Amino acid sequence: MNVVDLIKKYDGKAVVDSVTFEIPKGKVLSLIGPNGAGKSTVMGMISRLIAKDEGIINFEDKDLSKWKSKELAKKLAILTQHNNIQMKLTVRELVAFGRFPYSGSRLTVEDNEMIDKAIAYMELNEFEDKFIDELSGGQRQRAYIAMVIAQDTEYVLLDEPTNNLDIYHASNLMRTVRRLCDELHKTVILVLHEINYASFYSDYICAFKDGKIAKFGTVDEVINKEVLSAIYDVDFEIIKIDGKPLSVYY
Amino acid sequence: MNKPLYRTKAHKSNMIKLLILGIIVLLASVAYILINSYLPNMKIFMYVLKIRIPTLIVMLIAAIAIGGASIIFQSIINNRIVTPCLLGMNSMYTLVHTAVVFIAGSTSILATNANLAFGVDLIVMGVVATFIYSYMFKKTGNNVLYVLLIGTVLSSFFGSIQSTMIRVMDPNEYDALLTTLVANFNNVNAEIIIFSVVLLVALTIFLWKELKLLDVITLGKDQAINLGVDYDRVVRKLMLGVVLCIAVATAMVGPISFLGLIIANLARQLLKTYKHTHLIIGSALMGMLAIIGGQVISEHVFSFAVPISTFITIGGGIYFLYLLLSKKGI
Repeated sequence: MNVVDLIKKYDGKAVVDSVTFEIPKGKVLSLIGPNGAGKSTVMGMISRLIAKDEGIINFEDKDLSKWKSKELAKKLAILTQHNNIQMKLTVRELVAFGRFPYSGSRLTVEDNEMIDKAIAYMELNEFEDKFIDELSGGQRQRAYIAMVIAQDTEYVLLDEPTNNLDIYHASNLMRTVRRLCDELHKTVILVLHEINYASFYSDYICAFKDGKIAKFGTVDEVINKEVLSAIYDVDFEIIKIDGKPLSVYY
Repeated sequence: MNKPLYRTKAHKSNMIKLLILGIIVLLASVAYILINSYLPNMKIFMYVLKIRIPTLIVMLIAAIAIGGASIIFQSIINNRIVTPCLLGMNSMYTLVHTAVVFIAGSTSILATNANLAFGVDLIVMGVVATFIYSYMFKKTGNNVLYVLLIGTVLSSFFGSIQSTMIRVMDPNEYDALLTTLVANFNNVNAEIIIFSVVLLVALTIFLWKELKLLDVITLGKDQAINLGVDYDRVVRKLMLGVVLCIAVATAMVGPISFLGLIIANLARQLLKTYKHTHLIIGSALMGMLAIIGGQVISEHVFSFAVPISTFITIGGGIYFLYLLLSKKGI
């Protein structure tokens, strides 16, 4: 999957300006940057939630807009933070929705197996029959991830998944992201605010500033004093833990 | 191979609940026909049947149209306390009837011929609402909340025009007009009944694919798109269906769509599920029960002195307050 000259304008002002990059297959890619840098908008466009104004999004040798939405749903899953469900829905029923692109609402035996696996993978067995609105924030997030796993897509897109989670649940979630990539061989793309989660758990980082890509590269290439200071306009110190760069800012 | 979908205890208990509700509706229908029917006297009984069976059918159709439309509308908006009433169909109906009497007079064929009046209602409401709502929907970037706001504004707009007309109207004309402005299940022509049924069936077939997507739609826009649903198009089509359903019901019996709020919530409270096949059936059955009950009280307790909409409004108002105060899932 790659993106060429992607542009999105709101009221004539470009919030995403000629963005070009390639998404490495089977890796974790984090999009970081200050507020309003355009990272979430880019995410919205590569997940077809937001219409692009100009540019090309190549997905498996075909432009994203040429894909049938239903076919795309088998290849690419997106999880945003706008999930407020007014319905009485149990965890299992939510996870079962992940199979919708394959079987509609008529689940097959195979679908049920996938659902069981996804629930077990996210260790949700004891909550299976609980209603979504009875769960805590962390549990609900896990239920949504289980749904994405049941959707069985090669690409998983997560828009600010650590928002509203405490550090325990947030780091658990990041470990899950790593497992999705390492064990289930998915390509994961995340939008993150927390730089250290990005540097510790991703393979590549794409840093945005003012609608443009400020730096794209491996973790070590992006997480250093000069690059981060230029992007965030804040002084950074970089220390190494476990061979990975962690940033300190104040 | 398609195995029947994953069945839970909740699914089974909902089927049983719907079955029981269906039986209660059946009993209520029989009771409605038999109460004070002078049964041993076949001659009078046949006459009673001739009047009551069409009324019963009208009540059932109205319940299905309003019940279904209300559930769909709530699911699109993702809110349990909205009703298609907010689209302003009731005030449009009132305005059309007032305008006909105001311009053509209460003795004109447009006001006296029931079939013609129904046709005028349906065409005006259908065309205006379809135009307004599909246009507005597109214009506001498929934002359902704007559509709600527009509906509310239009309601008061139509209401104001109507009350202006009434102020300058001949009192006798107004008297004749007033009877058509309250919901009424009696004396609906057979042609109208057949036409409404055909229309509703056609609408259901037209929307069949979209109706099956309702469960996914309730997950919210982002999730629906993620799962491969063409959200904007589906919601636009469903909205059109809601508007037309309400137009049919209102043209047939008068302004009664407030009922939708009650029956949709009763169904949701009873069934506690997201499955729309269950919710729509439940809501329609609840509607049948409410309308038949109201009609029995109106006919036999108050001998037609108090119209059925009074009971629906009183009952609905109290239930609405209860919903707000108890905050059950709102």
